[in-house]
Amino acid sequence: MSKHKGAALTLSQVSKRFGETDVLHGVDLSIEPGSFVAIIGKSGCGKSTLLRVILGLEPASTGHVSSDSDAAHARLVFQEPRLLPWASVAANVAVGLGERGDGPEGVAAAREALADVGLAAKADDWPSTLSGGQRQRVALARALVSHPTLLALDEPLGALDALTRIEMQSLLENVWQAQGFTALLVTHDVGEAVALADRVLLIDAGRVALDQPIDLPRPRRRGDAAFAALEGAILERLLDAPASAEAR
Amino acid sequence: MSRYQDRKERFPLAWIVPGVLLFLWQVSASLGWLPATILPAPSAVLAAGWALTLDGTLPANLGVSTLRALAGLVIGGGIGFGLGLLTGLSRISERLLDPTLQMVRNVPHLALIPMVIIWFGIEEEARLFLVALGVFFPIYLNTLHGIRNVDPQLIEMGRVYGMSPRRLFRRVILPGALPAILVGLRYALGIMWLTLIVAETIAAKSGIGHMAMAAREFMRTDVVVLSILIYALLGKLADSATKALERRFLRWNPAYRR
Ligand SMILES: Nc1ncnc2c1ncn2[C@@H]1O[C@H](COP(=O)(O)OP(=O)(O)OP(=O)(O)O)[C@@H](O)[C@H]1O
Ligand SMILES: [Mg+2]
Repeated sequence: MSKHKGAALTLSQVSKRFGETDVLHGVDLSIEPGSFVAIIGKSGCGKSTLLRVILGLEPASTGHVSSDSDAAHARLVFQEPRLLPWASVAANVAVGLGERGDGPEGVAAAREALADVGLAAKADDWPSTLSGGQRQRVALARALVSHPTLLALDEPLGALDALTRIEMQSLLENVWQAQGFTALLVTHDVGEAVALADRVLLIDAGRVALDQPIDLPRPRRRGDAAFAALEGAILERLLDAPASAEAR
Repeated sequence: MSRYQDRKERFPLAWIVPGVLLFLWQVSASLGWLPATILPAPSAVLAAGWALTLDGTLPANLGVSTLRALAGLVIGGGIGFGLGLLTGLSRISERLLDPTLQMVRNVPHLALIPMVIIWFGIEEEARLFLVALGVFFPIYLNTLHGIRNVDPQLIEMGRVYGMSPRRLFRRVILPGALPAILVGLRYALGIMWLTLIVAETIAAKSGIGHMAMAAREFMRTDVVVLSILIYALLGKLADSATKALERRFLRWNPAYRR
């Protein structure tokens, strides 16, 4: 598989407000190309908003987001699979290619992306015949088929059972290592963040409250003492963090 | 699978009651208990159907009625679908048009018959107008409803994945609205035949309804019953056609898969 360069990102003084609500204020951040960054924080702290601002789906109120390569190409994986029920699995993946997905090359690329997530055999099935985990893998294939330089994932595994989650985490780690995109993963699960990320960002009161590098060798094992210590420390910070609402 | 087997088992059972009724009807008519002026024997109805087919009356009238029904459906359904798309896709159009249409909807279209006869006489336009008006509302309402109820998460996905408005419509909105649109079509087909029966019975010089009314003047109850049965058959045919459309276009939906 070809190695695609990851995008580097720089956020300078990014703020976002919705009417009276100040969601992000003055976020400064720079993200290494090809790195895996996890974003955690309490519900409603603005993780999704940060992701959407980075992807340009929401304009920042002030400040700006810049990316190194002019060919920066971002894809988003939602918490739900959001597959088109009336399109075959392969056609759903081809959605990620846009107009290019209509031709035979599109179908071939879609099948290749499906093979990467281990679902080559399901290409011609309807999404309704897949399990929840398989649907989310199709959604991942749809995001990856266009070879993005930035992959943003907003709690993509939140709805899956524990075992499927762990399988999906190693799948995600594998495709990330194989393809070299920059990954931004929003998650509620500190263990997941520590298992996958090079760096964990804790968002609180509209700022990056903790920026924790994770240097554990891969593949990481949840039972390890170093893993558990890091997970415990980050969880502690997450729980200690004053509630966002009070900080406002 | 089990539903399938159920249906197979119920099949012969379902035909017993109609079969017995038909048999009793035929026997009481043959024995003279049921005067032909009240209800002719099934065999007499069949015979009338055969005779009218041979002399060309039935095919001609059937053709005229079918053509009217389809023309009315295309005109009324087309306008309903177009306006449904317009109001479904644009809030401004909805605010501008929908309240008026909802108000007009409360007028039973058959109540307009006296007005329609004054406007068009008993010409072809009168029937077309009534059928078109009748099928307009179910198609309009269901198209609007279908578009409004397309999963907003899918629409957001389409936008985030860079679909142009046209592509979004073709790949997400239209297929998402299709189940509702087909429900509308099914209602519309029912209304289509009903409207045509009334319109042809009251004001027509041809068609199945006219054939029935003409037969009534000569107390030809066999022809009247024949006409009624043909309407029933046409209604069933239209219903099966929409079911076939649903199976074809909604294959993806487990509820429609065989
Ligand atoms: N479009 C919007 N309009 C108004 N307020 C919004 C909008 N989007 C988000 N918000 C507000 O911004 C805040 C942060 O929302 P966001 O969805 O980013 O939180 P989150 O960290 O992703 O939460 P969760 O973990 O529950 O997904 C919330 O208070 C929310 O109400
Ligand atoms: Mg969120």
